[in-house]
Amino acid sequence: MKIEFRLTLNLLDRIHKQLSLPHSFAAERVGFISCGVSKFPDNGLLILGESYLPVADDDYIDSPHYGALMGSPAIRKALQYSYKNHKAMFHVHRHEHKGNPHFSSIDLRESEKFIPDFWKVQPNIPHGIIVLSHDSMSGLCWYPNNEKPKPIKKFSIIKPSKSNARWIA
Amino acid sequence: MNERTTRQSFLGEKSDEIFSKSPIAILGLCGGGSHIAQQLAHIGFENLIIIDFDIVEEPNLNRMIGSCPQDAIDRSLKIDVIEKLIKSINPKAKVTKISGKWQEHSDVLRNCVGIMGCLDSFVARDELERFCRRFLIPYIDIGMDVHKSDTGFYISGQVITSLPESLCMRCLGYITEERLAKENEGYGNAGGNPQVIWPNGVLASIAVGQLIKLLTPWNSELTLSPMIDYDGNKQHSMDSPKALALEKHICTHYSNDDLGDPFFSPTTK
Repeated sequence: MKIEFRLTLNLLDRIHKQLSLPHSFAAERVGFISCGVSKFPDNGLLILGESYLPVADDDYIDSPHYGALMGSPAIRKALQYSYKNHKAMFHVHRHEHKGNPHFSSIDLRESEKFIPDFWKVQPNIPHGIIVLSHDSMSGLCWYPNNEKPKPIKKFSIIKPSKSNARWIA
Repeated sequence: MNERTTRQSFLGEKSDEIFSKSPIAILGLCGGGSHIAQQLAHIGFENLIIIDFDIVEEPNLNRMIGSCPQDAIDRSLKIDVIEKLIKSINPKAKVTKISGKWQEHSDVLRNCVGIMGCLDSFVARDELERFCRRFLIPYIDIGMDVHKSDTGFYISGQVITSLPESLCMRCLGYITEERLAKENEGYGNAGGNPQVIWPNGVLASIAVGQLIKLLTPWNSELTLSPMIDYDGNKQHSMDSPKALALEKHICTHYSNDDLGDPFFSPTTK
């Protein structure tokens, strides 16, 4: 299945800015991208990034084992948002390097625990995880009724007309 | 870089690959759309979706690139004529033809990295822009008109580049409720507007230039004007004063919190 994640440069910039903010004890920040969803005619999937929901400062748990550990209020707020707005939710965090980022074993293990929870509130919508680097991104998508996630094969960044760099990455 | 495209190598090492892999749709295949199809085929676009419900008729022959008298006699579909044109320039091109309303085949368009609109009506443009905003697809629209004045006729036109989170056709005053209402009232009685090949060609070339800027900008100082006006009497084009005046304006007609299918289901098409 071809899966494409499409978002605007403005949204991506907002996410990077939020993820760059320091936290009093967490070594990194995390959040969720709420998304619209559509299909391609060849049964592919198009995910469209709409807005960024950063995990609130108070919703991190201080843990020596994780760069960032979300408390249950963080997950609950994301679930509520998905339920209320009928949106797909993609957890996002960043690895501090350039080039293609890869999910760590901890990323995969923890995601497998909480991503399927979104089907309890939105059973017919795909959800997933995104990892950013400073100039690239990777992602996995859990499609309804499939326990194993599928890789997001294409990311498209759409730039506004005022930008003077490349408009479609 | 293949030999065919060595003269456009300044567009970047990967430009051949970008063009060949980028699906582009052209809606409306007569005066403007036929020029665009021809240019995209020459540039190396190999995944083109062409949409038009109409057949070639005698009055189209003054401006539709690729058409000939036999097409009017045979009442050939415009999509067939343009497919033949594209394939004659670039036999490797994959052409998806849709003879009908784009709204009934919109799933094919979701994959596009750009949509070139060469439509006749404001209603059609409005609908297409809504679609493009919903799926974050850059939309480049061209239009020309001929007005009667005291001294003769005045040819004008514009190219509008509508990008997500940027000025839309409503911000630019091109789509207005008044225009839409007027068009709806006169629906079916519009008759044939004057159209000639050379302004169509100029506007199509500007539109193709906008698309190439989007995909392979060749200079870091390039800007992408949301609206370019064409004065067909003076034979020049310029950034629209409307767009310049609205440089800091934020579009309030579209937002990014309503993207994708309103009622997505994994089992529906």
